Parts: sequence; C-alpha cells; structure tokens
Amino acid sequence: MSQLSSRALLATALLLLAAALFILNLGGYLDPAQDFLLRPFSATQQWVSRRVFALRDLLSSPADVSALQQRVAELEAERARLEEEIIALREQAAEAEVLSALLGYARQRPERGYQAAPVIGRDPSAFLQSISIGVGSDRGIRFGMPVVTDRGLVGRIFEVNATSARVQLLADPEFSVNVKLLGSPAEGVLAAQPNGELWIELIDQDAAVEPGALVLTSGLGGGFPADIPVGQVISVRRRDFELFQRATLQPAVDFEGLEVVLVITSFFPQPASTTP
Amino acid sequence: MGYLVGIPFMAGLAVLQASALSHLRLLEGRPDLILLAVVGWALTGRGQEAMFWGFAGGLFLDLVSGMPLGVTSTALVLAALAVTASEGRFWGAHPLMQLAAVLAASGILYGVGLLGLLILGRDLDLLRGLGSVVLPGTFLNLLLALPAVQLSESLQTFLFPPRVSV
Repeated sequence: MSQLSSRALLATALLLLAAALFILNLGGYLDPAQDFLLRPFSATQQWVSRRVFALRDLLSSPADVSALQQRVAELEAERARLEEEIIALREQAAEAEVLSALLGYARQRPERGYQAAPVIGRDPSAFLQSISIGVGSDRGIRFGMPVVTDRGLVGRIFEVNATSARVQLLADPEFSVNVKLLGSPAEGVLAAQPNGELWIELIDQDAAVEPGALVLTSGLGGGFPADIPVGQVISVRRRDFELFQRATLQPAVDFEGLEVVLVITSFFPQPASTTP
Repeated sequence: MGYLVGIPFMAGLAVLQASALSHLRLLEGRPDLILLAVVGWALTGRGQEAMFWGFAGGLFLDLVSGMPLGVTSTALVLAALAVTASEGRFWGAHPLMQLAAVLAASGILYGVGLLGLLILGRDLDLLRGLGSVVLPGTFLNLLLALPAVQLSESLQTFLFPPRVSV
C-alpha cells in the first residue's frame, strides 16, 4: 500500500471516528467518559492557572518588581528562595483579597448558600464566551446555578462534571436574563449580541430609562434570584415607531480579570426559565 | 513512538491553551498551539503522526471547551491532511510555503469550527467573527509559525536522530 493511500485511509478512519464522537456527544452518551477524563485535566488546569495568575500579578506591578530586584541585589545568596516566597505571598494576598470581597458579599446575603470556585480556564474557542471553574458536582454544583462575584452577575452553570464546571458568561449570545432597572418600574430582557454588545430589550416605551441607571436581575421567570447587580445602562435607543425601547449595558463584572467566583448553590432555576 | 509522544504532548498544549494562552490575545483572537504543533509535525514529513496528533489534540481541546467533541478533531485532521497531501515536501520547500501551510490550516480550523457551531444553531456574527477572531488569530498563528516549525524539526531530530553509516 502506498504511503499516500495509507494516509488517506488513516484520515478517513480518524474523520469517521470524530464524526461518531460528535454524534455520541450530542446524544449525551459520552458524559461519563468526559467526566472521567476531565478530572486530571481540571486539576492540571487549576495548577497552571494559579501560576499564570501569580505571574501576571507579578508582571503587572512594576513598583513591587523594582523593590524585589533591589532586595535580590542585597541578598544575592537567597535570591531563588526569596523570589519563590514573594511570588507565593503575592498569590495568597491577591487570592485573600478576592475571597475577602466575596465573603463580604456572601455575608450580606446570608439566606443564600455559596460555593467559592477558582477560575481555571477560558474556552479555547474564541467564539464561545465561557469559563471553566475548579468545582463540580462533587461540591454540589448543578446545571443552571447562577454564578456571581462581589461586583455582580457572571453567568450560569451550563455544563457540570465531577470536579469542574463550565460557566456560560453574560457576554455569550446564547445567554439571556430578565432584568429590572433600579429606581424605575422598567423591566426588560438582557441578551448579549453576536457583535459583543449587551442589550436590554423589551423595555416599555413609557418607562423612563437614563444612561447610568443600575440594572439588577428581576427574578422573573425563575432563572435567577432577584436583585443581583448586572451592570449599568450606557445608552438608550427610543424610537416612536417601535413597540419597545432598547438599552445598551456595561456589565458590572470584568470577565477578563475573573480569578474566583461564587456559585449560588441554594438556588435551583425553574426548568422552563433556562431558555427565557 | 511519535504516536505515543503525541498524546501527553497534545494534552499539555490543550491545558496551556485553555489556561495560559487565554490571556495572550489580539482583539479576541488567540494563537492555536495545537494547530501549530500539528502543522509543524506534518511539515517534518511525519504526516500520519500529525493526523493522529491532530485527532488527539482536537479531542483534548473540545474536552476543555464548549465545542462539541469531534469538531476540532475533524478540523485538525483535515489541516494535517492538507499539509501532507502534497508529496515531495511541497510546503516545506521554503519558509514562505511554511507560512502558507499555517495560513491554510488556520483557515480550515476556523472554517470547520464555525461550521460546527452553525450546525448546532449558534447565533454567530460571521463578519465580526472574521474581524475580531479569525484574522487576529490567524495573524498570531503566522507570527508563531516559523518558531513552531523549527521546534518541531528539533523535536523530530531529538526523538528520531538521523542514522549515520560510517
């Protein structure tokens, strides 16, 4: 058999196998296998993410770096040990800062149950707006649970494995949530657009909506608890010939800087509301 | 041996891609380490292994991604096949041809990925996707293409040293 035909044969076999996996995956038959394979993956991802965050923190604080360099010059002999110690302390301090903010948020709402979760990765496909977190069904995480930080709504759980879960971000075009405007009777539906903007649609024409207004979840439909901050209105489009107004929203959460999030484990969304 | 090396290598690259490389972005495009490794390995002349690497790497990527299992594998196997389809080291003849190989492979990866998402009924803004994901991602892949090919050749020499008859 020539090398060319053996290559074609292998390619055909692999493509058929990929197609079979695609179909089986859509049918949900591969979930146990994925669960098994993701265990070591999420542990490794968690380890790598912590190092990456620590390194990023170190690089993004030039004043501390110069102090560190001075100290290294003074204590040349202990350089390796000190660098390691400083990186570890910085990592812990950053983590403690985030956790302290999250703890403060959780204390303000004692009626809710929370599970803190480290962010261990972003979706490798740039077309999908999701993050992976380092806790899963082993820690009580279930499909549809809301995910927040002390600043506001992050998204919801849309895939759960034993030791990790995937969070669909607010910025994903498949995501939508019922919202209300603080200090106004106006309500609407927030949905990310494929162009990256966040729009609040279906706002009553008569409602007064101003840029700067704070937007909270309304709790309508049972998909999310009420009163979680979502963001701030940055512009409003109101046309007389349209039935509804539309507002553009700036999310409260910076999705790029997420390191630790909280999953609201005491809230179980109503089945019909997962696709409002 | 190339097949065996490929599995842990691809798994490691998938983890790096999902955790470390998600911070390295141009607009919304990111470099695709696994694509570069597969194309690089294919350019060393080890086409069948590259296809297998693409299959395994695609599965690992889909595992840590929201993509359905099999989509990225299909794209990477096709990319490896495209690079190895021409006999006589066509793509490896000149550095510019190596860049062209990465360009073609990036096109296949993004094309199949988008097709997979469209089949699943995802709402995509194709024009925005092209401008903010595909083009920047391809540009980053091209930037890293030549170092990736060099590293692949070094890895090949390390794993399979040329036999010298005295």
